[in-house]
Amino acid sequence: MKILGISAHYHDSAAALVVDGLPVGAVQQERLSRRKNDAAFPLEAIEWCLDHAGLQPEDLDAVVFYERPMLKFDRILISALRAFPHGRAAFAHAMKNSLGEKAWVRGLITAQLGVPRDRILFTEHHQSHAAAAFLTAPTRRAAIMTTDGVGEWATLTVGRGERPAGGPIRIVLDREVRFPHSLGMLYSTFTAYLGFSVNEGEYKVMGLAAYGRPTMADQVRKVIRRTSDGAFALELDYFAFHTTVAQSYSRRFVDLFGPPRQAYEPIDLATPEGRRFADIAASVQAVLEEILVDMTRGLHAETGLPDLCLGGGVALNGVANARILAESGFERVFVPPAPGDAGSALGAALYADRIHFCNPDRDVPDHPFWGPSIDDDELARLAGEDGLPAATLNDAALVEQTADDLAAGKVVGWMEGATEFGPRALGHRSILTAPHDVALRDRLNRDIKYREEFRPFAPVVPIEAADRYFQLPPGGARLARFMSGVFPVRPEWRERLAAVTHVDGTARVQALERSMAPRLHDLLEAYGRRSGLPVLLNTSFNLAGEPIVNRVVEGYSTFRRSGIDVLVAGRCRIVKRARARTSLIEELA
Amino acid sequence: MQSPLSSVHRWVWRNARRRAKNLLRFAEVEADGGRDLVRAAEQTQDPLLRRLFLLHALDEQRHADLFRKRGLALMSTLPAAPEAASRTDWLTPGERGLDDLRVEQERDGALLAFLHLSEKAAARDFTHYIAALEGDPPTREVFEKVVHDEAFHMNYTRAQLLRVAPKDHGRLLWMARLRRLWSLYLRFAGALAAVIGAVVLTLQYFILLPPFALLARRAWAREPEGWTPIAPERNGQGGPSPLKRQY
Repeated sequence: MKILGISAHYHDSAAALVVDGLPVGAVQQERLSRRKNDAAFPLEAIEWCLDHAGLQPEDLDAVVFYERPMLKFDRILISALRAFPHGRAAFAHAMKNSLGEKAWVRGLITAQLGVPRDRILFTEHHQSHAAAAFLTAPTRRAAIMTTDGVGEWATLTVGRGERPAGGPIRIVLDREVRFPHSLGMLYSTFTAYLGFSVNEGEYKVMGLAAYGRPTMADQVRKVIRRTSDGAFALELDYFAFHTTVAQSYSRRFVDLFGPPRQAYEPIDLATPEGRRFADIAASVQAVLEEILVDMTRGLHAETGLPDLCLGGGVALNGVANARILAESGFERVFVPPAPGDAGSALGAALYADRIHFCNPDRDVPDHPFWGPSIDDDELARLAGEDGLPAATLNDAALVEQTADDLAAGKVVGWMEGATEFGPRALGHRSILTAPHDVALRDRLNRDIKYREEFRPFAPVVPIEAADRYFQLPPGGARLARFMSGVFPVRPEWRERLAAVTHVDGTARVQALERSMAPRLHDLLEAYGRRSGLPVLLNTSFNLAGEPIVNRVVEGYSTFRRSGIDVLVAGRCRIVKRARARTSLIEELA
Repeated sequence: MQSPLSSVHRWVWRNARRRAKNLLRFAEVEADGGRDLVRAAEQTQDPLLRRLFLLHALDEQRHADLFRKRGLALMSTLPAAPEAASRTDWLTPGERGLDDLRVEQERDGALLAFLHLSEKAAARDFTHYIAALEGDPPTREVFEKVVHDEAFHMNYTRAQLLRVAPKDHGRLLWMARLRRLWSLYLRFAGALAAVIGAVVLTLQYFILLPPFALLARRAWAREPEGWTPIAPERNGQGGPSPLKRQY
């Protein structure tokens, strides 16, 4: 069967294609449209998936949308009615927004792809998250928890999944917490309060939290309290997201936490105000972890299962994931490389395949590389046109040369194979550099990534060496496979891993198995032979405000505009030639 | 030449908070413009244009940094205040003015014509702002640096337009002018439609919806907090698969 999954309209839209039970392609729309967090109907992503598989839309047996748009509209409309008479703006916005396009998904898919209406299916938002987490994980039975801002009505669900050999596959979600009570919305509200963009700046809150102390945790517990049945409820007087589209928090929230940070104000951690913001970030992070750990502990006690699959945007919180692994009682925690809404495109397609069509189980390959591949010859052509010397080397020579570059303190743009599905660069579209030098880290922040200095960089290490440098608990290497957990750097290595060790002594480590990215694994070993440490700093190959690069030309333009010293794409390598702007203008004139 | 809007410009730029906010907004516009140019560089098949667009993109990024730094410096001198009530975006357009650039849909010639007109308009506007900023030499200096680069941008876009469309450049420039006008009209019409829509929906909200609002609130009050069980049929148990439904 050929099943296309689609997620769209709210943030990071994506398409994924499943053929005979296995994914053949999955890509976020932003990687192709080059608009960060592109939420538009993912026509380019769909076209790529179909082209990649050599299919036409009429060849599809089903197209599955990742949520129920009318149920979502129902929630938006009822929320505006509940807020009466204060929900006027939300009502107007909801009507214009939803009735314009978002509520008519069946018609939209039919119009865009020409697929008959009866082949269009809809999963529930959290079913898609659950399927993306469970059906891609190497486990037969697991407890499932999905948590995000909101889907249709659910904001958090728990249940369990089973894939018995030869038996029917089941994903059963038992219960849910409903909007407006939401852990994702709680975190997003603090993200907005701290002056960062919602759905984009949550990483910043997590990074900032390490600089603070949870001195305001009690205040956070005032805005979210635990209910007697083990769930939670927001104190809605402190929030405004459920009544208005313009503001996440209310005046009472500001009375409790103090004035919010303006988006443009830099955070200066040397000032009392900067430390206040860090303490608030630490406090919301601590309370989030506390609730998640307690709920997963309850889920473990209830199911008695050793494995837990986490889905939804909140599963991107690596600090919380590591605490869940350590404290919930689960032996293994699985987080897919794309736990957010983009990954739901794949989840929806897999759910339809296994549950709706009752197709036999297949093990989904355990890697994130489902997107477009690079053209191996493109870099040589581009460099040639621009008069830059390019070297085409065999794999072994390229690895040795790149290891020399890294050992010499160079910053390397690294592109190979198919792009990652999900928000993290896991070795195919990465910027790599040495992990020991704080000056290099600062240069990356200042000249290449153009981002706040409090945000940490992540290390990548061969899985067989991970435990030597990082304190991975049992099951930690699994969580570190897709950079889903934050773990302590062993104290004796912190100085030599200074560029990837966060202020609290932790790192969001990627433990790389050779089979997942053999060439990067070779590079780590080659670098280890030179430096004594097979660890590299690995950050996504993009500049601030831009999506991760996809094609070679995008890597090349990023290389030309930033402080990256060396670019490797496929087997081709080019080196930066420093030129003054005036001499460039003269040459081009 | 003095702008007919010089007194408006003086009013807009006189207030330090407004000045800071405009500069920060310009920083965003320049950064966005830079990203558009990067995209143009990645799309074109012409190596010379690719290099020029990338150079231009770097200039835009530098301008964004200049505007942001100056805006933040101004902000830091002001007492904390809630968001200003008045918005002056439309009185002081940034470099792309009121236009959106759709790089993927453009051929090189049309894109160059569009960029040429944008740069020309920006240079003109920024020169007027310089005149209105006589009381703030550091901000004035920022605009002077930017205007200096705009001269290069105007020249190269014109020269390249003549190169890639030697017989067609006049028509392309006129098309670009008309498109800017059309875009202005669409923005105006869109804004007007949004206002009319908001008025109609607001009337509906207050006239038609109160009974439904009452019902929704009463139902909400009865809704228990905490966990809600998920019905088996939602999991596809004990009935037909629910995947055909949108609700």
